[in-house]
This record gives sequence, structure tokens and C-alpha cells, in this order.
Amino acid sequence: MTEQQPPEEQAAPRPAAHRGPPIEVAEEVLDARGEHTAGALRLALRDMALESGGRDDVPWVRIARENLVRAAEACVRSPNIRMDMLHCMFAVDYEERIELNYALFSLGNGHKALLKVDVPPDEARVQSLTGMWEAAGWYERETHDLFGVEFDGNPDMSPLILYEGFEGYPGLRSFPLHDYEEW
Amino acid sequence: MTTEQAYDTVDMMLNMGPQHPATHGVFRMVLTVDGERVVDVTPHIGYLHRGSEKLAENESYGQVVTLFDRLDYVSNLNNELIFCRAAERLMGIEPPERGQYIRVILAELNRLASHLLFIGTYAIDLGAMTPIMYGFRERERIQNMFESVTGARMMHNFIRIGGVKEDVPSDFVPRVRALLDDVERGVQECDRLLTFNEVFLARTRGVGVIDLPTALSCGLTGPSLRASGLAYDVRKDYPYEVYPYLSYKVPVGENGDCWDRYYMRVLECYESLSMIRQCLDQMEEGPVMAQMRRIARPPKGEVYVHGENPRGDIGVFLVSDGTDKPYRVKVRPPSFCNLVSLRPMMRDAYIADAVAILGSLDIVLGEVDR
Repeated sequence: MTEQQPPEEQAAPRPAAHRGPPIEVAEEVLDARGEHTAGALRLALRDMALESGGRDDVPWVRIARENLVRAAEACVRSPNIRMDMLHCMFAVDYEERIELNYALFSLGNGHKALLKVDVPPDEARVQSLTGMWEAAGWYERETHDLFGVEFDGNPDMSPLILYEGFEGYPGLRSFPLHDYEEW
Repeated sequence: MTTEQAYDTVDMMLNMGPQHPATHGVFRMVLTVDGERVVDVTPHIGYLHRGSEKLAENESYGQVVTLFDRLDYVSNLNNELIFCRAAERLMGIEPPERGQYIRVILAELNRLASHLLFIGTYAIDLGAMTPIMYGFRERERIQNMFESVTGARMMHNFIRIGGVKEDVPSDFVPRVRALLDDVERGVQECDRLLTFNEVFLARTRGVGVIDLPTALSCGLTGPSLRASGLAYDVRKDYPYEVYPYLSYKVPVGENGDCWDRYYMRVLECYESLSMIRQCLDQMEEGPVMAQMRRIARPPKGEVYVHGENPRGDIGVFLVSDGTDKPYRVKVRPPSFCNLVSLRPMMRDAYIADAVAILGSLDIVLGEVDR
């Protein structure tokens, strides 16, 4: 007669130990061109900027998500910035937050900058910027496909990169890379 | 007597692709047509999505270079260059000068190969058979040169973080000089055959016009933006590598039509030829790879860099968490952004011009879908 063994409690997987040298943090230094842009941005976004920094000639400014449209408008309208091109827009998944980055370029004034907006993963929703740049539409659809961020005001949110009916958001860190079976 | 109101007209949907020889890959667009006129166009992409950005998060920095090869598979070396530059900026290393010269020579050769492919395929899109023979013949010579330098014809993996894999063969300089003379003759041949050809002009002049404000709003870059009249070239405006030491012109168009977009690329071929010649004159002996650890491990931080690809402005956003794998790699593919401007370009065009307009954007689907 065998005694019923109580099921062994599953131990939580230990985080992989970080091997190798200690992690260095790169210093963020702006060059003259970047400082110039950063100064212009500080003027235009002075009541909205939560945090700022930058590297080389690309400064960045973090703003609250309620202020996104107002900040973008300020970047477009303010005469010494005039960001006429949305160079790129993308999300970075930091697990506790999803960071949306808007890379704004001013080809006329020679400015480059990143506008950062943090959204919580369980309520990832921001205003769409399709009214300001036509290019925003496709970036937002792509970000919606891969990260599940909702964009209020984008007239067409059909899947762009993935097919209709795909489940899950493959851009997120939690999406399995090898275990995922499609068929 | 009948008036226009007497009949109800219905717009027709016309599907083009994904299997269509003139869409340059698996690209589908749905045209809404009113008779012969295109009212609206809806591009559908994503047939070639391989998740390169996701894959890159699970590869070491050195391996990510091979993924970049496969994005824009017509200008592989330009893609490798942009990723390596991003990683180098984060690590704060600068490749030695000879390495930079070799990178620029290879990148410009690849630009030539890419533009020659464009000239050939664009002529085919418009129904001319001969130029693709000339274009491919010259491109083949460049591919052979790549093979002798990097060992591969397409997926080179030659530009590495910190420089290039190895020095070029000993007879590189005289061979490239001979190659450039051949290619120049080939470009001139295509140019003479096509550029001011009456039929070609009739098909492309005034077709697919896009004005500068719309082009900027759509994020159009590269030769297609310059065709609309803005001299924006990353190599000139935000110089990188050894481009500041070279003298060259940035060709600018006037009308922003298909012909201008084509002609910008022909003119760029001549500029690239001159750039490579200057590089060969200036290049000196020396190391090609910077002193660094074997395994690239950039410090924690993020960087956004961009550079000039044959198709436009490619950008890379790289986030490092201090380990040997990138935390996030985002590519801003020029073809993806150029495709956004397809809709304003095609509005009110004829169906017969749809292929001419799409071809003039010179898209590569590997990069659009990633």
C-alpha cells in the first residue's frame, strides 16, 4: 500500500542569474545641436514636460498621456520648432508600462526629438495623432497589432501587419517566441 | 437627352495582388475605380511579416546584423551599416578610418546596385523590356565584387559592430576602379535609352504628383521626397561615417511626379560613382576593426539613429538593458513610410498609371512587413 503523497509544491522559477560584468549605464549627453533643440522644446512644452533627457542630437521629453495632442500641436505650431514630419512612432514594452515614442523631425529647422508617453498595459489607450500627420495612421495600426495599444480617433484600425483574427500581441515581452504554434 | 443624373453609377473595386508581377513582391492593393479613374486605393501589407523586431530581442548583437540583411534585401549593406552604427553609438566606440571608408564604399556600391535594379524594373513596369538587361548586367558586376569581398552575394554579414569583418582583398582598389568605369557606361546607357524617351515621358511626366507638404505629412523620404523639391539627405544634413570628407551634390526635383522620382535615382547613381572614386583616393592603410570586447555588450540606455538608404531615411531605435541581447529594436523602414503616400499620389490617376506610380516608389516588401 502506497501512501498518497501530497503534490509537491511547484517552486517559482528562479530569475536567471545575471552572469558577466556588472551592468553599466550609458551617460546621456546632448551635443550642441541637441541642446539647441532641447531648449526650443523646453519653451514650447514647459508646462507639460515631466522628464527630459537625450543623447547626441536627439533630446526626449516625457509627457502625460492626457497632454499628448496638446504637446504634439505645440511641436507642430511653435514657430521655432515646426516638427513637420512624424519620422517614426513605436512602442517599447517595459512590462510595468508601455512607452510610446513619437520621433518628430523638423526638416526645415533641423530639429529631431522624441516625445514619450507612458501608458499602463491594462489600459493602453491614447489619442490618435492622425489629424496632425498622415503617416501616424499606419504606425498606430502597427502598434495596435503588435502591442494592443488603442488609438482613439484613428478612423481605420483594421489589422495592418497581422491577419484578421490573430490572437495575442506578439510585440509584448510576454508573448512566447518558441512555444507559439500557429497551425 | 440624358444627363449625368439619369444613370446611377457605382464605383467598382479592383483587386491587385498579392500575386501580381508589378507589385514587386507580395503586396496587395484594392483600387476603387470610377470608370478609368482611381477614386481611392487601400494598400494591404503584412504578407511577409516575419517578426524581425521580435526575433532581434532574442539574438545577440552580432546576430541581429544578419536579421537586418534580410529586411531590405536589395540594399543589405546599407541596412547592416545602420544597425552597427546604432550599437556603436550606444557603446561609444568609433570604427577606425579605413573601416569607415570600406563601409561607405560598400554602401554606395549597394546603392548603385539598388538603383540599377530600380531603373530596370521600372522600365518593365512601363512595358519596356531592354533596360532591365542593362540594369541587371551592371548589377551583376557589383554583386560579383561583393562576392569577392564579403563571400556572399546577398546576405553579407560583413559590416560588424566596430568596423568590418576583415580587410578588403589586395587588388580591391584597381578592381573597383575598373568596375566603376563599366557601371558608369551602363548607367549612361540606361539613361540615354530611357530618360528622355518620348513614350517614357508620356507615361511618367505629370503622373502621380505629390506636393511637398503632403509628402512631409506622409513621411516620404529619400529620392522620392527630393523629387518633390526638398534637398533633404541624411548624408548631407546629419553626416555620418566619412561622408563629410566627400564632395557631392544632392539632386532635387521640381514637380514630384514619377519622372522626377525616377530621374533623382539616375542622378544619384552618378553621385555615388563619384563618391566611391573619392573614397578610393582618400583611403589609407590601417586597421579596419575597433578594439573592443568580442561580445558586444552596450551599456544600459537607448539611442535613435537614422541614415540614408537607397529608398529613403532608415531609422533604428535601440534599447539596451546592459546584457548581450538588445531589449528592443525598432526599425523605421523607408519603404513602409513611402507606401503611406501611395493614396494621395493615386487619387484621380488612371488605372493604367497605378503600376507606374507604385513602381516609382521603389518598395521592397521585406522591409515593409519586417
